[in-house]
Amino acid sequence: MSVVVMVLESVPPGLRGELTRWYLEVHPGVFVGAASGMVRDRLWEKACQSAGLGSCILVHSDTSEQGFAIRTWGPTRRAVDDYDGLKLIRRA
Amino acid sequence: MDLHTLPKVRDSWSFLYVEHCRVDQEDKAIALHDKRGRTPVPCASLTTLFLGPGTTITHAAVRALADNGCLVAWCGEDNVRFYAVGMGETRSSASLLHQARMWSDPGKRLEVVQRMYEMRFGEPVPPTATLREIRGREGMRVRKAYAAASAATGVPWTGRAYKRGEWHKADYVNRALSAANSYLYGVCHAAIVSAGFSPALGFIHTGKMLSFVYDIADLYKTSVVIPAAFAAAREGSLNLGPRVRLACRQAFVQMRLLRRIVPDIQYALGMEGARDERDAVLDSEGSAPAGLWDPVGTLPGGTNYAHGGGERGKKWMEEGV
Repeated sequence: MSVVVMVLESVPPGLRGELTRWYLEVHPGVFVGAASGMVRDRLWEKACQSAGLGSCILVHSDTSEQGFAIRTWGPTRRAVDDYDGLKLIRRA
Repeated sequence: MDLHTLPKVRDSWSFLYVEHCRVDQEDKAIALHDKRGRTPVPCASLTTLFLGPGTTITHAAVRALADNGCLVAWCGEDNVRFYAVGMGETRSSASLLHQARMWSDPGKRLEVVQRMYEMRFGEPVPPTATLREIRGREGMRVRKAYAAASAATGVPWTGRAYKRGEWHKADYVNRALSAANSYLYGVCHAAIVSAGFSPALGFIHTGKMLSFVYDIADLYKTSVVIPAAFAAAREGSLNLGPRVRLACRQAFVQMRLLRRIVPDIQYALGMEGARDERDAVLDSEGSAPAGLWDPVGTLPGGTNYAHGGGERGKKWMEEGV
């Protein structure tokens, strides 16, 4: 089980609707839950497939030093850089 | 600034290594700048920042790092480091004075030395063992650790060798060991200063400004540095730097190094639990004045004692007779 946060931007309404089956939408486009790795990964795959021209960000807890992992999909203004295992966010 | 709100070493990230970028202040933290963009770094979560080749750093950035309790270390090609430290998480000198008391008394110093070796061995040392016997046993233990790491990874090992000034010529296992050591030293140094101790007052090691750093790092060398360096060296000599750093980080996480290092230091020095109330006051208000030492007891600081000597003392002070 990991704590999961997904942020969706400019995605079709059907996708947002699908996520509300599993997560709480605490803010427009921001979804929070605690899910098993399998459910989390399947939902992420679905989000990436259905995002259209929008973008998705996934943050979930893990056993790394920072305690969480970050994945992104689509045109985001920010990129995730890896510094020998530490993740930082770069803005162009 | 209330120092109690600063993050503890135990909750922080171990280190960040950067190269070929400009480090500048950003809001209350720092950011890395290069041609690809701007990368903020939450330095209150960071214990140590290593600056590699091609970095520049501003005055304001160093100040922001010091304010956040992050140690900055400069890495040269031959791994010689310069470093800058802030005042540490706590302005009270209670920890340092305890360390000094243990260091300056030969009997107490020996107790600390024995405790440190016990921590390395993971078991008690018989009270009849001499220091020479203990060192002999430690030598065997370290040799076995190298042999075990070599066997586990298949990386050949012919002994620890490094010539100062000819670092690039050392075989790549020894380069990996030197690099991994320097990251461990940096993290230990940062934790020592953060917790209010002196990096120079060493117990097993002596004579260098980082003697206590070497003492503490040696508690973790065989379980962190040796396996990490051999694991990185297993993949060959190409791109060794990043792989050593990643292996070190993974070892730090696995060993919960940041969680245990300050309690380990306190245990090695024979310290009891809570600090006294005065230290708590000093930490809540970082600019509270130091006390004035007196044989009878500490006097409050921040006061002018011009007329504190009574009538006779007053006459002497004013007239000099």
